Amino acid sequence: MSSSVLSVVRKSILPRQGDNWASIAKRELAELPEADAVSQLQSWNLHVFMRAPADKGSARAGNPILPSDVIFVEPPRPAE
Amino acid sequence: MYDLIVRNGTIVDGSGMPAYRADLAIAGDRIVKIGRVEEAGATEIDAEDKIVAPGFIDPHTHFDAQLLWDGYAKPALSHGVTTIVPGNCSLSLAPLKAKHRMKLVGMFNQIEEMPLKAFEEGVVWDWETFAEYIQRIRKGLAINVAPLVGHSVLRLWVMGDDAMERTATDAEVTEMQAVLRECLEAGAVGLSTSYVDMDERLQPVPSRFADAAEVDRLASVLGEYGRMLQIVPEFYDADLTIARLDQLAELSLKYAIPTTFSPLFVNADNIGAVDRVMARVDEQFLRGARVWPQVQTRPIDISFCFSVPSLLFIRFPGWYRIMRFGTHEEIVATFSDPNQRETLIREAKLYEGLWPRLILRQVTSQANQPLVGKTLAEIAALRGTTPVEAMIDLSLEEDLEAHFLAGDMGHNDDDKVGSLLRHPRVHIGASDGGAHILSFSTYGDTGYLFAHFVRDLQSMPMEEAVKKITADTAAIWGIPERGRLEIGHVADITVFDPVQIDRGVEKFVQDVPGDGHRYVRDPLGIETVIVSGAVAWSHEHGYGDARGQILPGECVQPADRIAAE
Repeated sequence: MSSSVLSVVRKSILPRQGDNWASIAKRELAELPEADAVSQLQSWNLHVFMRAPADKGSARAGNPILPSDVIFVEPPRPAE
Repeated sequence: MYDLIVRNGTIVDGSGMPAYRADLAIAGDRIVKIGRVEEAGATEIDAEDKIVAPGFIDPHTHFDAQLLWDGYAKPALSHGVTTIVPGNCSLSLAPLKAKHRMKLVGMFNQIEEMPLKAFEEGVVWDWETFAEYIQRIRKGLAINVAPLVGHSVLRLWVMGDDAMERTATDAEVTEMQAVLRECLEAGAVGLSTSYVDMDERLQPVPSRFADAAEVDRLASVLGEYGRMLQIVPEFYDADLTIARLDQLAELSLKYAIPTTFSPLFVNADNIGAVDRVMARVDEQFLRGARVWPQVQTRPIDISFCFSVPSLLFIRFPGWYRIMRFGTHEEIVATFSDPNQRETLIREAKLYEGLWPRLILRQVTSQANQPLVGKTLAEIAALRGTTPVEAMIDLSLEEDLEAHFLAGDMGHNDDDKVGSLLRHPRVHIGASDGGAHILSFSTYGDTGYLFAHFVRDLQSMPMEEAVKKITADTAAIWGIPERGRLEIGHVADITVFDPVQIDRGVEKFVQDVPGDGHRYVRDPLGIETVIVSGAVAWSHEHGYGDARGQILPGECVQPADRIAAE
């Protein structure tokens, strides 16, 4: 039963400990210059990018990515 | 002699098989005979022309607090609901250390729109552990309760304030696993988590600081017991929802647990998205995973007034900020100040189509009484102003107690909702019972299912609708001996009139501790509700016996429960 093949869906990852835009860009979009890769990631993940930043005193300050976030590493797939 | 006999009814037994006429006899808390019953009963109910069905099970509620002052979960039980699942969306009232009580109250207030005053005046805080909370709500319990443990609460218990800041260490996750085990031993039906909710500071709730490894290890504990994992995914986006259900599917397969996500709404602008989500659900089920989407029956209607924050305004930051954080005086001052008023009006233009169709549903002054029932478009025309300005003016005139209704806000495509509800891999639920009490009535979704989708639209037969909210729900959640009318099963039974069953009109009542109000609906067509063999509510006599149990634990170990008491 579990050998059923799943159709291809938009590719995403779950963050690793301490991940930020740059670390995900380096790992998942290694073929792109970092600035471009970060920019792409942010545009594909507005649900994270548009989030209000954590307070300045927070360990997460400046990094909107939560450990539980789904991060897309490709653009939306065209409708079939 | 039997304790209770339901005579002459039409049995819809929850299996989905065709209805049939028979009597049903009960001894103690069990169904002991279905057929022609010649003997007499200590109590007899005539169910001529009525349906005799298993009690309905509501798998998505937030009655956690209400159960502390109302063991009937009124008015849910009177709608035929005999079992509720509280503790959804990462929030439960246990396990909870004393120092975190106000934090949790803040989250319940923000996410589930439960009034702070109800907690202040209706709750005696005399528990910390899950077992103590269960012991506390068991007193006077009339409805069955299958409680979830909230992931946010579990994190708070183990990590304290760090739960709202960071991932857990290995040792902390190990401790969470141990505490979760204790909760499951004490009767919890599973664990709930959330990927979307915000706390009272508008910061992510603790469960959102958990990484996938933490959720995996907690799911492994659920696997030891075969219990449920419930999540709130990012339901506003199909790709995100699919990613979450894939995550759930892997956990379901790895640990052989059932999982469920809620809500899944269908609107005119997202039909294709819902189709994609359901296609993925089908694929994952074919792999052997259990990923049950929960779909509610009722369309989305939201009521509000400006004396309490409403999630309707979450898309309007200026409005929401003043509703959420402003005092009564500050809100009045903001509405009265021409500059601030202008700023709000400008922001409201983002969704200009919303305001004209809002309906004034309630005022306190005699002067505005003739306007009740009119849309803001109509009132604005009468007053020579705009709908938004009319809304602000009415709110000032009524000292912020002008109530407005945003009706038919979504989930209102009958064809699409109907086909979702009858989909074999859709779990009917997501009522949110006991929550959002100042925004809409969460009671009567089952009556609406029978009235609208079975009787009026004929989207599904009666037998199938009953099965979906009884036997299917019990099977999905692993609740044994309930959900079917079978000899030997516990007698949780709802007797109703198939011609009359419906939800009553929404009304605003004052029955919440602290002189609080809420929106409720009365049941229509429900005759008798039996819980564990006793009449818990009847149309004729109102609320009655209290024999509710904690499920699934207690129903399989009654001897242990009696010994504990």
